[in-house]
Amino acid sequence: MQTASGLREKVISKAVRNIKRGYTDDDSQRGMYREEIRLDLQRSRLMTESFKQTDGQAMVIRRAKALANLLDKMDIFIREHERIVGYQTSDPNGIFHPIDQNWRSVLRLVNSEAGKTLLDEEGRKELDELCAYWKGKSMSDRHQESLPEDLKRYWTYEGTFLWTQLSELGIPDYDNLFKTGLKGRIEQVRARLEEIDRTIPVDYVDQKEFLEAVIIALEAVIRFARRYASLAEAMAAQEDQPDRKAELEEVARICARVPERPPETFAEAVQFFFFIHLIRYVEYSTLGVGIRIDRLFGPFYEKDLREGRITKAEALDILQLLWIKLNELGLVYSPTVSSVYGGVASLQAVTIGGTDEAGRDVTNDLTYLVLEAARRLQLIEPSIVLRLHDGTPDELYEKAVDVIKTGIGYPSLFNDEALIPLFTRWGVPDEDVKNYAVTGCVYIEIPGKNVMRRSVGYFVLPKCLWWALHQGVDPKTGEQRGARTSDPSTFESWRDVLDAYVEQVRFFATKMEQLERINLELYEKFCPRPFYSAVVQGCIEKGKDARKWVYPSMLHHFTQVIGGTNVADAITAIRKVVFDDKKLSLPQLIRIMDNNWAGHDDIRQACLNAPKFGNDDDYADQVAREVHRLGEAAMETVKDRFGFSHRGDGSAVSATYGLAVDTPATPDGRLDGEPFADSTLAPSPGKDKKGPTAVLNSCAKIKAVETYNHLLNQKFLPKFLEDDLKPTFIGYLKTWKELNVPHIQFNIVDREKLVAAQTYPEKYADMIVRVAGFSAYFVDLSRGLQDHIIARTEQRLM
Amino acid sequence: MRSSNSGVIFNVQRFSVHDGPGIRTTVFMKGCPLRCLWCSNPESQDFSPVLMARDILCQGCGACVKACPQGAITLSRKEGRKIDRQKCDNCFQCVSACLYQSLTVCGEPMSVDEVMDEVLQDRLFYKNSGGGVTVSGGEALMQSRFVLALLEQCKKENLHTALDTSGYGKWQNMKALLPFVDLLLFDLKHLDPDEHQRTTGVDNKIILENLKKSAKYTSVWLRIPLIADFNDSNAHIKKIACLGKALGVEKISFLPYHEGGITKNRQLGKNACLLKMKAPDDKHILTLKGIVEKNGLNVSVGN
Ligand code: SF4
Ligand code: SF4
Repeated sequence: MQTASGLREKVISKAVRNIKRGYTDDDSQRGMYREEIRLDLQRSRLMTESFKQTDGQAMVIRRAKALANLLDKMDIFIREHERIVGYQTSDPNGIFHPIDQNWRSVLRLVNSEAGKTLLDEEGRKELDELCAYWKGKSMSDRHQESLPEDLKRYWTYEGTFLWTQLSELGIPDYDNLFKTGLKGRIEQVRARLEEIDRTIPVDYVDQKEFLEAVIIALEAVIRFARRYASLAEAMAAQEDQPDRKAELEEVARICARVPERPPETFAEAVQFFFFIHLIRYVEYSTLGVGIRIDRLFGPFYEKDLREGRITKAEALDILQLLWIKLNELGLVYSPTVSSVYGGVASLQAVTIGGTDEAGRDVTNDLTYLVLEAARRLQLIEPSIVLRLHDGTPDELYEKAVDVIKTGIGYPSLFNDEALIPLFTRWGVPDEDVKNYAVTGCVYIEIPGKNVMRRSVGYFVLPKCLWWALHQGVDPKTGEQRGARTSDPSTFESWRDVLDAYVEQVRFFATKMEQLERINLELYEKFCPRPFYSAVVQGCIEKGKDARKWVYPSMLHHFTQVIGGTNVADAITAIRKVVFDDKKLSLPQLIRIMDNNWAGHDDIRQACLNAPKFGNDDDYADQVAREVHRLGEAAMETVKDRFGFSHRGDGSAVSATYGLAVDTPATPDGRLDGEPFADSTLAPSPGKDKKGPTAVLNSCAKIKAVETYNHLLNQKFLPKFLEDDLKPTFIGYLKTWKELNVPHIQFNIVDREKLVAAQTYPEKYADMIVRVAGFSAYFVDLSRGLQDHIIARTEQRLM
Repeated sequence: MRSSNSGVIFNVQRFSVHDGPGIRTTVFMKGCPLRCLWCSNPESQDFSPVLMARDILCQGCGACVKACPQGAITLSRKEGRKIDRQKCDNCFQCVSACLYQSLTVCGEPMSVDEVMDEVLQDRLFYKNSGGGVTVSGGEALMQSRFVLALLEQCKKENLHTALDTSGYGKWQNMKALLPFVDLLLFDLKHLDPDEHQRTTGVDNKIILENLKKSAKYTSVWLRIPLIADFNDSNAHIKKIACLGKALGVEKISFLPYHEGGITKNRQLGKNACLLKMKAPDDKHILTLKGIVEKNGLNVSVGN
């Protein structure tokens, strides 16, 4: 058995150390990547090589062949501790960048100060050559070239929304894959091919190309696993150490079997899953995991236990080894996206707990084992999502609190009672809704369905309010960028402000959707996903690539909304200072605010002292509810290319910090560029004066079912989760559930420790904090983000 | 029927986890007959509302100087904003003038209904955590009519109630409250009458009598403010434990001394106490815990 600390040392952290925009000079000195980390060009090289050979063929075939070329030729290795195998690059210190999506940002990166260690001279030369091929062919190029002039203005980030390309999730149908193996899948494809040969449907050629591509991809995956089997066998033959020899022989046996054929043991199931997960990344770099890990692997574990094939300790080993593998699947982001995430998090989350489709609790022995693996390893990824419902056993609460107490920021808690009605409203059918899982952050999907959930981008709501207060015109340039809403001097109540705000939300949501519509059409044309299509339900049956249709519901595309609390507090301040107290007129307030409050601190203080969301005060909470509710309704009037409503989402990670830089002062008393409140439900830092019960009561007033899924971060001292107070904390959690607040997660840390970690980063290199939807090493965050986390209200114990 | 009965309250603290079991709301009543040297809530001692000045929040804007009809406030570069407490007649006009919350009033009259409105907002938290309402102070017995009405109302709402008291008050008043009190948090400072008199300003005779009587009516937690070299000797704690055992109290809570009161004294314009006090060290607290446990009683630290 391997010790947790021994395993932890094996982890290769690629941590991005810094973020580009808006931070102090000091940060830029810290460098972005650890020194040993290299940009691995194999994926780019092998895909490009294949693409050059397949010019003129159908795109779906070209993508399948490119994937096959990669899987057949990329260098593979097995590290000395590994029993779960597979890697996305040719070297453990490698990171890859999806050149087929966007080559500009990787070029920018390796030529920047932060990324200069990633490639040597030769590598740079090769990268230039590879980029030359993708010029005009990468998805990003195609998108830019297709945009009409006016829309191009909105594609460029100016502060209202950041349209992002790199985010596409999806949870393969492991349940059925485990029954058929890829071999069985290929047989299904062949059957479908025979069928269309007989029936000749109107899209016969399309279907045939797609189905043939699927076979190319799946066969390549089977060969890839066999390459690992041969490698393990060869290594075993060379190995003198009998234990390791046996392990390698077992790896060889497993990789010869899965994912080609159905797994029979726990270890086989885990390896099967990992190959599929890995290749999903490599085919087209998406994020997230999303499996309901206890439900998926629990039966294999229990069967192995029953039949004496495994012990609890051995299963814990395998889980820990899997954890390490997941940890190493980092991506390279563009500097802007890095600033949003504050690290290289791949936002991988696994789900535990919750119910089956019939509403029965699914907790099993593996549920606890997963928590135990996480507690021992204390890694930033994968994050664990725990679904709580009325039937969750008390024992699971207890175990979860013990893990939360360590300060790693997870499990984060999802409330079935609040979320299931929301998904039902989104059109998820009853038979699927209770099977939801969280892929990363607070991204929710239904396993096995063609959801491919995408975040269209970050939507800065306070900037929408700012536009509403300026009739959509930038006062500096005179450009009409937002909607031409009414003149604020005519507003008679806070509701008029709200109306104008909602209009701006609708306007910008429409722009975002227009950008996205073109983007997704291009993806359908130029970036089909034959492998992914083969591992979700419906594509083979329909003979259609996953991009050509979607699982019918509103689960899909969304924008991550940021700063809703600031909008609510700002409108509340206007309500109080302008309309109730009549201290000054709205145009006067706007003028003062546009001047960043200079010379008018009295007015700023009046705005700061107005009631604020998070104090269980209806005066402010009512406004907050309307801001979220009507904002969502406005977004939902916008439809995507399949006719489903666009919507908001509370998963706005640390963008609340990074993207606030471009929003000038707002009427809540916020200064130009000052960070927004965390996530969607958190009160503004320091403004929740009535403590955590009032915070939850305020949050409960914003009903998930009429808005979206939210994210709520709370910070407590470790004491509150220990000894005598542990049952009280569990009582707090149960109330959170009963209040129907959809989500909560915790930072459990002493403020002093965070401050000390800023001064002595080397001593606190392992300290983990919850940033937003994910955990990160505190010392890896930029100074600005660190300060923001320290500033989060710490709920004191009274 | 809405009650017109009103009490002077200096804080309604939600999410209290150190004043009885579970998550609670603690209602702090103003006014106290004791003057404990270690008092952590000196703002509660006077019955009437008082002006509190937090210097670190002061921006030196001068608005309070202009607002004060008594000319009690001065602003200078050297000393910052200063309040002459002799001149001040507690009109609180400066409080409304200050935009930075540097000046606040401590204590306001509230009706039972107003308190209940706040208390009931956290009902679900009480239910799920086994919490409820704690009435504390000051000394709650000083406003026993109001407290009675409040506790009665809490019981009507089926809330768990706790009363945190120094035990210094008329037995009749206390007895009247007890039927509505599920848990009595009874503060015990010192068993020796002279020491008690010296450090709190009052004799402990009434207190001990009230303790003995009340223990027959309801569950009691004995709360000991632990102060090094004052009441933390092994012998003294043993005596308390024996008394607690004899009275059948549920547990003994140690509340180690903290310095919160010193800052507050400064904010009130009072001289901080002259005695230098500190909490016993952790090791000694463990020893004391052991003594109580040996006497067959539960013991906890901090609640
Ligand atoms: S309370 Fe009244 S008298 Fe006292 S300092 Fe303030 S304004 Fe002056
Ligand atoms: S009004 Fe407030 S901030 Fe201004 S000088 Fe007085 S105490 Fe200080």
